[in-house]
Formats: sequence, structure tokens, C-alpha cells
Amino acid sequence: MTKLNISNEPKILILATLAGGYAGADSTGQSHVDYPANTYILPVMCPVMFPPEFFIRAYERGIDGIILMYSGTDSPYKVEAEGTAKLINATYALMKERGIDTRRLRLAAICTVCVKPFLKEVNNMHNLLKGIGFVKSELKSHPAPLQGAKS
Amino acid sequence: MSEKPKIAVYTCYCGGNISHTVKCEQVAKLLAEQPDVVVSRTNMSLCSDAGQSQIEEDIRELGVNRVVIGACAPSLHEQTFRKTVIRAGLNPYLYHHIGLREQDSWVHTCDADGATCKAVRLMAAGVAKARLLDPLEPIQLEAEKRALVIGGGVAGLRAALDIADQGLKVVLVEKTPFLGGRMAQLDTVFPTGEEAHILLADLIDKVVNHDKITIFTQTEVTKVSGYVGNYGIQLTQHSRGVSAENAKALQDACQQMVADEFNYGLTERKVIYQPYHGCYPPLPAVDWEHYNGEPININGKSEILKDEIQQFELSAGAVVVATGFDPYVPREGEYGYSELPQVVTLPQLIRHMALNPGAKSLEWQGHKVRDIVLIHCVGSREIEGIDEPQEDGQVNNYCSRVCCTATLHMIEELRENFPKLNIYDLYQDIRTYGRGHEDYYINALDNGTRFVRYHGEEKPKVFAAPKGDTHPVLVHVTDALTYNQELEIPVDLVVLATGMQPRQIDDLVKMLKVSRGNDRFLLEVHPKLRPVETAVNGVILAGTAQGPMNIQESISAASAAAAKVISLLGSGQVELQPFVAAVDPEKCNGTGACVEACEYEDAIALETFVEDGKEVTRAVVTPANCTGCGACVAVCPNRAIDVQGWTLAQYEAMVDAIAMDIVDLVEAG
Ligand SMILES: Cc1cc2nc3c(=O)[nH]c(=O)nc-3n(C[C@H](O)[C@H](O)[C@H](O)COP(=O)(O)OP(=O)(O)OC[C@H]3O[C@@H](n4cnc5c(N)ncnc54)[C@H](O)[C@@H]3O)c2cc1C
Ligand code: SF4
Repeated sequence: MTKLNISNEPKILILATLAGGYAGADSTGQSHVDYPANTYILPVMCPVMFPPEFFIRAYERGIDGIILMYSGTDSPYKVEAEGTAKLINATYALMKERGIDTRRLRLAAICTVCVKPFLKEVNNMHNLLKGIGFVKSELKSHPAPLQGAKS
Repeated sequence: MSEKPKIAVYTCYCGGNISHTVKCEQVAKLLAEQPDVVVSRTNMSLCSDAGQSQIEEDIRELGVNRVVIGACAPSLHEQTFRKTVIRAGLNPYLYHHIGLREQDSWVHTCDADGATCKAVRLMAAGVAKARLLDPLEPIQLEAEKRALVIGGGVAGLRAALDIADQGLKVVLVEKTPFLGGRMAQLDTVFPTGEEAHILLADLIDKVVNHDKITIFTQTEVTKVSGYVGNYGIQLTQHSRGVSAENAKALQDACQQMVADEFNYGLTERKVIYQPYHGCYPPLPAVDWEHYNGEPININGKSEILKDEIQQFELSAGAVVVATGFDPYVPREGEYGYSELPQVVTLPQLIRHMALNPGAKSLEWQGHKVRDIVLIHCVGSREIEGIDEPQEDGQVNNYCSRVCCTATLHMIEELRENFPKLNIYDLYQDIRTYGRGHEDYYINALDNGTRFVRYHGEEKPKVFAAPKGDTHPVLVHVTDALTYNQELEIPVDLVVLATGMQPRQIDDLVKMLKVSRGNDRFLLEVHPKLRPVETAVNGVILAGTAQGPMNIQESISAASAAAAKVISLLGSGQVELQPFVAAVDPEKCNGTGACVEACEYEDAIALETFVEDGKEVTRAVVTPANCTGCGACVAVCPNRAIDVQGWTLAQYEAMVDAIAMDIVDLVEAG
């Protein structure tokens, strides 16, 4: 078996709504356009379920950039547009407190067929992280211990 | 969750689509080392019978109780594998699917190692989520076997008929006094050239004679409560104002005239009216919006007409919204509209032709038309920053889809009826996309129609010609087909091919809590996977309420909507996905933050119970009213509420797995 060359690049978490960004990412796949592989897309029904602390926790665990790809005003959920904007603002405030560069969190309205906007967001975050590096260097307090597979 | 997780992990080659980039064997090997993973396999094509049998066998023989699959997009095969695990006796929600094709192998073709690391992390995240999955049951509710269809245009009529044909009751509600909607205003229709009113009469006949369908005209929905399977609906109906006995006498005696909207203001009608011969219901109606309240004299008796408004309550298991479209009405001065009498819209010209069958020449306001210009895309494909926004600040940037073919269909009619007419067609693109539609374009090219192509940034301009000119109107246009030559076309009539706009249905949108797209038409959950459903369970879309469609497409959408209603209500029970909020009674102490955060009526409430002799207050979710948005999850200080199947703890576990170094992942094994 060939040896795996494990990349050590900043990690981008993409929380993408099923009705928007997640389907947009699938459309991008169907277009067969390459983008950086340090991108981890998780489907969400509606991003208003996340409290701001969820994002801080993710940074503490070692996620370097997060893009919230929601459906904006096109959402099937009435609360999504307004609720997500509020959530982002509250999270920015917490990020500042923790010394985390707020550019590490992006909100983007991505539709089911938004291939170009999807790529733009991903590439922008990738380039930003290349410049500003890993989040660990910014965290004022020590990162919380890693839990997960072993727990 | 009591039993210890025994997780089976499958990494699919997808016939090479995934394995050409992702080193699937390596992924499977690393995943095999994860805690709780009892088997980790690759497969050439997991969705094949052999692939599915392997999963079933593992569940049965290895006691697998969680399944994680990395394969093509979940939208393609999530349902397939849910059925696979059910066949093997496992709860379908104990399976998690990861998209390794569209979101990995197809987009990292130049980075096989990167794609493989990504697959490992995503699959590890899947395993982390799988550990925390709980078995879930779809939500079962009693359903009222009756559908409410709102809108009596071709889409609403078709949906009503299809639903009723399957034995379900239908209440069809139409706001105006007559059935038929916009199709009734058309003359002959593309692509068959049949007469719209004949096609419509046939459909209406079937609907009104169907014993399962009840029709309410002059009626609107004024209140909606409840949820899928059991909506409570209030209808408000205006009275007809006349009876079979006095209708003719009243109509004859009525003197008040108003612009006839059926003919787009080209003619006038009385306020007691029937829009066209043969319409349904056959009884005239009073136009209450315009009736001035003056008495009408019949047989020496003067009568003041009164609108006796009635309200009804009914229950319905599902609601079909078929409220249709409005044609775009140009602004004053847009291409000279409403300033120059020789500028009309395509719907107006259609009515003009219908009102003057067999005319020897095309005449407009008493003048013979020798030269005519038709301009495409009026009120459609507008460009932000160039076109003046609509009243709500938006530009109509969408294509109305029907107007190209409708314009070319009109050109064919004009050419057949008036062979000497000079016809100019000013277009941006010809979008004759349907079967048989392109023929109209080919015919127009052959029949001497002159095509001029303009750009959206440089629209044609319409002016009054100087006095004494041969023609009353001049059209200036830059023609992209002849290297941007500036043309001046003297004409007698300008026809604006106006597109479709959503109807003003703000109240209905609020009552039903449905969403609209950026184009302001009603929005489906997913354009490909759930194209006629809204995010509100049991509210289904039919026809042009959802966006521009021709008759054929409106009917297809209506039949699709009917099929959804039938599958939803047919059994008398509704089954919903269990992805709704659930309260953990151990943790909930009734703060009420969730109730405050929830935007949906009757989805969550605080209730007080007596337990062990003590009063406790807790949040209680009504699953049928909950959309699963999770606004409650974010605000609960005790983490006592979660969306089932999508819990915060599951997300945290997934994030941890993604954040972890692969070396750690290996060591974690
Ligand atoms: C200029 C032009 C030419 C066209 N020519 C053709 C053609 O030749 N061939 C073709 O295939 N298609 C053609 N079309 C398209 C065709 O008109 C539509 O596809 C069709 O009419 C759509 O039907 P519908 O039922 O969706 O909407 P509508 O016909 O608009 O019907 C909606 C109904 O709902 C009612 N309603 C609205 N709001 C409410 C409410 N709140 N409560 C109760 N009732 C309500 C309305 O009164 C109306 O009766 C043309 C369109 C245009 C603009
Ligand atoms: S169908 Fe043709 S005329 Fe209508 S908006 Fe689209 S391109 Fe323009």
C-alpha cells in the first residue's frame, strides 16, 4: 500500500445548509472543478441551531476557518436569514474576546446551483488562512483538551 | 442509547469515480482501527445488489447496529441505503451517509493524498456521529383526507381533478367570480395551436361535475391553523349579488361601466358581468370592488346590491397553492407605454386578436397597422444597476420563459392573418426551449420576419415620430446582428412582450408560512429533489405561483403536486421525517427560552405536570408543527433540547474528528 502523505494545512469547516450550500457543493462537484482539499463540509438543516460557543469550541479544537453557507433569504426556514446574522454577530463578539481573527468566520449565502460563489468563498478562506496561519497561534487561553474518537 | 455501538463502515469505489482519486483501501484500513468499528470494507459499487447484500449480511451476521457509508452524494442514495438497513432489521436512522464523490474525489483530482486525508476525516466524523445516533421513528399523524386547492387557474383545476380522481375530497377556492385564471384570456396557444377556452372548458367541465370537488368562487383563505394532516382553514366568501332569476334583468339595467381587466383595459364592461361567453359559473357576478352602490332600476323597482360576506371553517390534510402569476405591467413611459397609444403589451394584443376574429387587416384605434415591432423581455431579465427597480426595490432579473414562444406564436398568427404586415422582432436571446417551440422561430425566419438583436444594457428606445411622418412611432435600436448598426424603425404599433410576475399574495404567504425566492415566486424545498414541496409540511405548490411556466409545465407541476397530496393523505395517516426538536426531560427545567426563540406557531410550549407529587414545568414539542430549524437548541442554557438526528453533541463529535490529526486518529485505534 502506498504511504499517505498527510497534509498539514489549516482546516476549513464548512457548515452548509441542505437547501443551500450543501447542494451548491454537490453542484460544484458535478462541474468537476478543483478546490483545496482542506475543506470539510457538514450538512445542516438550518444554522440557527448553533450557539456561538459551538464555533469557539471548534476553533479551540483546531478548526482554523469556518464558512457558514446558508440559504439567505431563499431559505425554506423563516428564521434562517435573520437568526444566522444574529448568531454571526454574537460569535464575532466572542471571537474578539478570545483573540480569534474574525475573518476566520464567514457567512455566505450559497444556493443549490451557486458553483462560482461556492468556489470563491472556499478559495478566499484558503488564501486567507495561508496568510494568517493556524488558529492555535491566536488563542489566548490554552486549547481545551481534545476529545472525540477516544471518548 | 443503551447497546454498545457496533459500527460497519463502507467506502465505495463508485466504479472508479471515487477510487481514481481517493485511496479507498487506505481509508478503509484507517477506519477499521477506530473504536467501535467492527468491520470496514470497500466495495466497487455499494448501491448494486451485491453491495447492498453485503451490508445486510454484516448487520445480520456481525450484529452491526450502526452503518456509515462514504459514497456518492446523499441526495442520490441515502434513501436506497435506508431501505437496505431496514431490510436487515435495523432502524433506518442508525445509518449515516457521507458524500465522497461530489465533495471529495471529483473536486480534488490533482491532490490524491489531500482527497484521501479528507475522506479519512469525513468518515471518522461519520463514525463519531454514528456512535451518538439514536433509533428514530417517523412521526405518524392522523390525516384529514381532504385537500384545499387555492386558485382556480389551469394548475389548480388540474391538481383538484387529479386528487379527486384518487378518491380524496377537494375544496377548490378561487378569488375571482370565475374559473380558468390567465389561460382563459389566451386565444390559440402554443405549441399545438388549439383554442385555450376549448381546452379549459373541457377541464372545467370535469372539475365541476366531480362529486369529490366542492368549488367556492369569490372566496379567499382568511385564517390557517394546525399542521399537515389537519389544517384548520377559514374561508371568506363574497356573495354573487345576483340570482338565476334576476341576473339578466339586473345586468341589462346596470349602467355603471368600468375597464374590463379580462381584456387588459382595451374594452369596458358593466359592474355586473361575465368575462366571456361560456365561462363558469355561468351566472354573472357583481364586481364589488368597483360597484358604486347606486340603485339599479328593474321593473320600476330600484335595487341596491349588497355583498353578504360569509365565513366557513373547514379542515384539510394538505394545501395546494396554485395562485398563479400576473403579467408584468410596464411603468408609465417604459418603451412609451401609457404615453403613446400605439404601445401595447403582448397580452393586450392577444385579447385584441381574440376580439376581432377574421379581421381583414390589423387595425389599432382605427388605424391600419403596416409595420409592427415586438420587443422581448419587457419586465424580465432586468439588470441591477441598469434597469429601474420595481416598487419593492428589486429588479426582475429572471427570464419569464413563456414570452419568447408566445411572441413567435403571435408572429405566426399575424403572418397568417395579415400577410402584408412588416414584422420586426427585437430580442436579446430566443429561448424557445420546449418541444415544437423552435418551429415558431424557424417559421418566423422563413416568413419574412426581421430579427434584430439588442443587448440588455442597451435597450431599444421608443419615440413619437415628428408630425407628418409616415408612421406615428419610431423605434431606435442597436443591432448586434449587424455589428451594432444603429437602426431607426418607423412603425404603427409596438408590442411589449411582458413577462410574468408573482401575484400579490402576501397575506397567504404569511398565513401558510411559506418562503419566497429572490424572484418573489414561492419557493420549493429543493428544485430537483423536492420540486413541488415547500418547507412547510403539507403545503404544496402547483403551477406559476412557483415561477414562470407554460400550460404544459403548469399541468405537470399540478399533477406532481396532486401526487404528493395523494401519497401524503391517501392512507389517512401522515408520516413525517423525525428531524424535529425533542426535549430531554432530565435536563429541562422550564426556562422557556426555547418557546421564546421559536418562530412557529404551536410548535413548542411550556406545560406543567405533577410528578411525584411535585409540580414541574417543561417544554413540550408538537412534532407536526416543528420544522426542525433548531432555533430552540441554540438558546437552551441546559442543552436540554436538540433536533433529533442532528444533535449538537453529534456536530461537536464530528468537529473533533475533523480537527484531529490523522496520526492521532490512527493512534486512537
Ligand atoms: C402573454 C402570455 C402568453 C401565453 N401563451 C401561452 C401559450 O400559448 N401556451 C402555453 O402553454 N402557455 C402560455 N402562457 C402561459 C400560461 O398563461 C400559464 O402557464 C398558465 O396560465 C398558468 O396557470 P396557473 O394556474 O399557474 O395560473 P393562473 O392562470 O394565474 O391561475 C391562478 C388562479 O388563482 C387565483 N388566485 C390568485 N390568488 C388567489 C388567492 N389568494 N385565493 C384564491 N385564488 C387566487 C387567480 O384568480 C387565478 O384564477 C402565456 C403566458 C403569457 C403571459
Ligand atoms: S422567454 Fe424570451 S422574452 Fe421572455 S424573458 Fe426569457 S428571453 Fe426574454
